[in-house]
Amino acid sequence: MAPVEDVEMKNVESPAAASDPETPEVKKDADVLSVQDLREHVKQLDKAVTSKEPRFAMRVLRSLPTTRRKLNGNVLRAIINQLYPAGPEKDALLVFVEARQPDAVEIEPPRSRSATKMPVPEVDVYMHLLVLLRCLDANKLAEASACTEQLMTKVLAQNRRTLDLIAAKCYFYHSRVYELTNKLDNIRGLLHARLRTSTLRNDFEGQAVLINCLLRNYLHYSLYDQADKLVSKSAFPENASNNEWARFMYYLGRIKAARLEYSDAHKHLVQALRKAPQSAAVGFRQTVQKLAIVVELLLGDIPERAIFRQAQLRKALAPYFQLTQAVRLGNLQRFGEVLENFGPQFRQDHTFTLILRLRQNVIKTAIRSIGLSYSRISPKDIARKLGLDSAEDAEFIVAKAIRDGVIEATLDPEKGYMSNKESSDIYCTREPQLAFHQRISFCLDLHNQSVKAMRYPPKSYGKELESAEERREREQQDLELAKEMAEEDDDGFP
Amino acid sequence: MASVKEVATLYQNLKSEWSKKPRKLDKCGELLNKIKIALTQLSFLPSNNTTVNQKELILARDVLEIGAQWAVAVKDVKAYERFMSQLKCYYFDYKSCLPESAFMYQLLGLNLLFLLSQNRVAEFHTELERLSVDIIRADPYIRHPLALEQYLMEGSYNKIFLAKDNVPAESYTLFMDTLLDTVRGEIAACIEKAYQCISCAEAARRLNLPSQQAALEYGKKRNWVLGPDNCYHFNASSETCAAVADVLPSSELAGQTIEYARHLEMIV
Repeated sequence: MAPVEDVEMKNVESPAAASDPETPEVKKDADVLSVQDLREHVKQLDKAVTSKEPRFAMRVLRSLPTTRRKLNGNVLRAIINQLYPAGPEKDALLVFVEARQPDAVEIEPPRSRSATKMPVPEVDVYMHLLVLLRCLDANKLAEASACTEQLMTKVLAQNRRTLDLIAAKCYFYHSRVYELTNKLDNIRGLLHARLRTSTLRNDFEGQAVLINCLLRNYLHYSLYDQADKLVSKSAFPENASNNEWARFMYYLGRIKAARLEYSDAHKHLVQALRKAPQSAAVGFRQTVQKLAIVVELLLGDIPERAIFRQAQLRKALAPYFQLTQAVRLGNLQRFGEVLENFGPQFRQDHTFTLILRLRQNVIKTAIRSIGLSYSRISPKDIARKLGLDSAEDAEFIVAKAIRDGVIEATLDPEKGYMSNKESSDIYCTREPQLAFHQRISFCLDLHNQSVKAMRYPPKSYGKELESAEERREREQQDLELAKEMAEEDDDGFP
Repeated sequence: MASVKEVATLYQNLKSEWSKKPRKLDKCGELLNKIKIALTQLSFLPSNNTTVNQKELILARDVLEIGAQWAVAVKDVKAYERFMSQLKCYYFDYKSCLPESAFMYQLLGLNLLFLLSQNRVAEFHTELERLSVDIIRADPYIRHPLALEQYLMEGSYNKIFLAKDNVPAESYTLFMDTLLDTVRGEIAACIEKAYQCISCAEAARRLNLPSQQAALEYGKKRNWVLGPDNCYHFNASSETCAAVADVLPSSELAGQTIEYARHLEMIV
């Protein structure tokens, strides 16, 4: 799978960082710091378990992408040695950690007063997940699949609400490993079973992740029918994280587009773009944007040029820019050329079959521009202009265009021409009102969605309340002031 | 308990009966019913146990293939749909453990045509997505319904009439006929909108009807009024449109406005 269409939202790892000529001294410091960070994470997780507050665990998991970049064999070995007492669990994990580099420096564990106890299941699963991530990053797929199997047995054995958030991450990477090893169809049963369980337990994050994994699974094999049924039969949890929402919206957009419900598809794709992280996840945004452009074209609209100009997207969207131009001009020949030149690219993006459907839109645009420029034209000339085979074809196509409301015209079979009707004033109809309504409801929906998506920084909640009170006071004062001023005005001009 | 052997002999019977010309369709139907019952004893129905016998699967698939073709021959659309949905499981889910069937693309293409003739375009496209792009472009059985869909969407209706004669397989003709009826309906709707007046002969040519007589009958079905000059006139529709436009959709407007007010209140 090409990196561009990797829907996994991770930052593109810079290879430069790895190849930096670091002296062992600097490296050691970095490693020691990472181990300290991990210890901090473990503390947070412990706190989450004892206080039953999921937000501590959430904070740890939110920093997973940064943590992932800091991992290496040395760090993992050190932290595992510190956390686990000697025993089968420790050895089972250390098997997957790569052997110590010769130049690596041993990280001294902080002196502890008592013997280390077996960590709580949450910490255990978290550590296991980190080891799995390391295997994935080091591209050791065989070990990763063995590792993920063990991780899953660990997760399945537990029934703890405090574990839910971490388990959700585990499901995601479990499915990812299977995708990389190309055995995605084997885990559908497991995912369905987990989805059932997490729905019963009201584990919203798990539900969201599992639904997305299943959808990805189905779409990987182009099983749009099953995917559509899954979406209609399950409810996506409202309070799932933004990233999961973005993924879900994208999958939904793909399904709807395949089922010719273009306006729904477009709505979902736009929301996916808005929910996606704005600075990271370039690959995801490229993929969504490509699909959104095609769907917009299918709707008969022309995407704005500014979309193609964004620096991160420009290169990836170049073929789609050509396509848009062909559709905009209604040039069938050019459309064919674009299809020929960029066919493999479109196939890779899963947009090829959608683009094939665009042909009729190209024809419609062409007929519309002919209708605008000629008041009377014979079907034969239309056929010549569009590059169609015969005048008969053209006549039927024009008749269909008239019925679909593309142009206002009539055909005269006796004399053999198409004559344009006087274009009626569109502002006499309900059309503007409908368009206006559509835009208003779109804006309102967007506003509601973004209000829901707002996140408040931790601890500032109380401050906000106070300031609201202060504001009320201030407004009160303002009002009084205004009143006084008004009274003064009255006084001044009797 | 029916063993694989018994089913195999039954299948041989069916096969020889099927390849006889002319076929005795009743006999085939009887045999099919018998085999279907026998098959349920084997690993025919979907189940969880992973150990499936390849021979049994191939046998079941071949039976279903004949079954689908038989259903087309006796024009039993519902039975055809059932056979197809059972077959799809063999074509896609057991793909890795079965050799590809010679009839696979023919039947899948037939299924596409079937969906098209029923005007189930969304399902048509979901089915299409399961096939790889190379097959869509190269396989004659798949390309045929795909081209038809494109003509239908564009409006090149006369190409569909032309395509009637070069179907890739004999079983395609049943659905072709249904499709042509659908297309004729489409054309008639287009004529109503696109022409102000059209002579009877012209209408017959456009509807692809053999004679003016047939056109007259068809026009009667759609409530077309033949004018004194032997032409159909269509302009009444525009007047009714104008009448509709004058009525103000007040309740709808009020509903929308209240909705806006509610949202605005939430925002402010």
